[in-house]
Amino acid sequence: MRTSDAVIAVQHLRKSFGSVEAVKDVSFEVGPGQVLGLLGPNGAGKTTTINMVSTLLKIDGGEATVGGFDVRTQPEVVRQLIGVAGQSAAVDEKLTARENLELFGRLYKIPRGKRSARIEELIKQLDLGAFADRPASTYSGGERRRLDVVAALVADPPAVFLDEPTTGLDPRSRSELWGTVRSLASNGVAIVLSTQYLEEADRLADEILVIDRGEIVAQGTPETLKQDLERDVLEIQVGDRNGFERARELLGPDANPATDAETLRIDIPVHGGADRSLALLRQLQDGGVSISNFQLRQPTLDDVFLALTGPSSMEAEEITT
Amino acid sequence: MTTRNTYDGTRAVVIDPSVALRLRRAGHDTGTVLWRDMIRTTRQPEMLVFAVVMGVFFLVLFNYVFGGAIGAGTGYDYLQYLLPGVLVITALQGAQQTSMGLAADFSEGVNDRFRSLPMNQSAVIAGRTIADALRNIAGLILVAVIGMLMGFRFASFGGAVAAIALATGIGYGFSWLGAAIAAKVRQSDMVGMLSMFWLFPLMLASTAFAPVESMPGWLQPFATYQPISVASDAVRGLVNGMPVGDTITLTLAWIAVLLFVFVPMSVHLYRKVD
Repeated sequence: MRTSDAVIAVQHLRKSFGSVEAVKDVSFEVGPGQVLGLLGPNGAGKTTTINMVSTLLKIDGGEATVGGFDVRTQPEVVRQLIGVAGQSAAVDEKLTARENLELFGRLYKIPRGKRSARIEELIKQLDLGAFADRPASTYSGGERRRLDVVAALVADPPAVFLDEPTTGLDPRSRSELWGTVRSLASNGVAIVLSTQYLEEADRLADEILVIDRGEIVAQGTPETLKQDLERDVLEIQVGDRNGFERARELLGPDANPATDAETLRIDIPVHGGADRSLALLRQLQDGGVSISNFQLRQPTLDDVFLALTGPSSMEAEEITT
Repeated sequence: MTTRNTYDGTRAVVIDPSVALRLRRAGHDTGTVLWRDMIRTTRQPEMLVFAVVMGVFFLVLFNYVFGGAIGAGTGYDYLQYLLPGVLVITALQGAQQTSMGLAADFSEGVNDRFRSLPMNQSAVIAGRTIADALRNIAGLILVAVIGMLMGFRFASFGGAVAAIALATGIGYGFSWLGAAIAAKVRQSDMVGMLSMFWLFPLMLASTAFAPVESMPGWLQPFATYQPISVASDAVRGLVNGMPVGDTITLTLAWIAVLLFVFVPMSVHLYRKVD
């Protein structure tokens, strides 16, 4: 039944809600110890994709297998092999962390003896001890999210789906969760992680799928994605608000949508390196824009993302972040 | 027989469980969900209060405010007439909490977690209905005690036990109706509204508070044979040590009908995914 070493294999996945095509044609494979990053703005189809592969949503077209088992025809087998956390699957708020893990451990049919040892191990390993015996409703966002993720790991599954696990977390909780994801991967777990954060995909993912409006717009390692965008970025700091508006006018569509009115910073993707940059700077200066600072830099994943998904998606993201 | 296979040489997965194993696991899962719902019940003692508050409200209000007017038509002490009806109404309230609880699980995303687990999906509803039935028993005893403080007298202990069992039974049947509604609409606020549609007509157009003779002729056939009425009449007979006629049989028949219709329906609706 298996065609490759992939733990999770997805081919030409499709899903429509009424006339809206939420996922159009998504394919990927995730091997043991690999992290696949699904990167895209809100509504791009990340959650829909994860829900289909994790048996939570009916697949309209295409195929998905976990551990070689067909998600559509053998969901009950697939459920023995997966853990799901994030937007799609919550824990019981009235129960403590220990009780939640006990609940899911029982439902995963982990034998009684092994179960309590496993729960203690997870509580220790993920440093849940401090709040293990308080109801989940009293947790901070970070504690709650950590329990969400741990609950997906009770049965030590070979495939784990994390749907925006760090959305809304403070930087410290976020980096703690990143540590958890890395240690999972180093233990050979195949992970699909969706995120709106480029930095997160950059740091965690072995391979990134950039999704926009249900379609894969780019695919590759973080490095190749950055290389594919063969251009530098000219970052200009404008002195005042009037200058900022004037500069936007002068530059028109050349300015990156990431241009930030708050900090008066303008990003311009440039192909011709120094010459083109100088020409642009001169154009702005002649137009009466006072420039307080500038630099020419390598593109980040942010730039890749914006170049690929365009301004309208960015607006959608801004609303949610 | 159970077929076991290791998909990558290290992990055993159950691929084709036998009927016996399926049943054993369904029992295990139902027990687990029941354990979870019982913990939730003890963490939210206010739920028990909510479950009985309407019953107590009706008991006090109807007895002291309308007692004289309605009681005149019943031929005996109105409290002896009213309490059995209130027991049935209380059990119905408990059924509504099945609806609310299941809808909350949908809104909070707990049901999505359950869906991703290798468990019997019907167990989520089955466990909850049993937990609600157990809480219902506690609520019914509480209402009975309050009634006794107001001057109600059970004719016999056996009658009291049978009455509470019967009220719990009809409540259990309606629990599955509530589960079906929750599995269909999946939103707490909608569930609360929809429950009113079946709860209030059944409750008020019944013999729970007043005898059928006091109602207009066109309403009498419905008010005589609808489930709340026959259950109220049966419970009333049991607690007062009076003949019950065919009301117990009719109540049991209603419970069977409710389960026959709503168990498969709610399981089907619950498992349905987009």
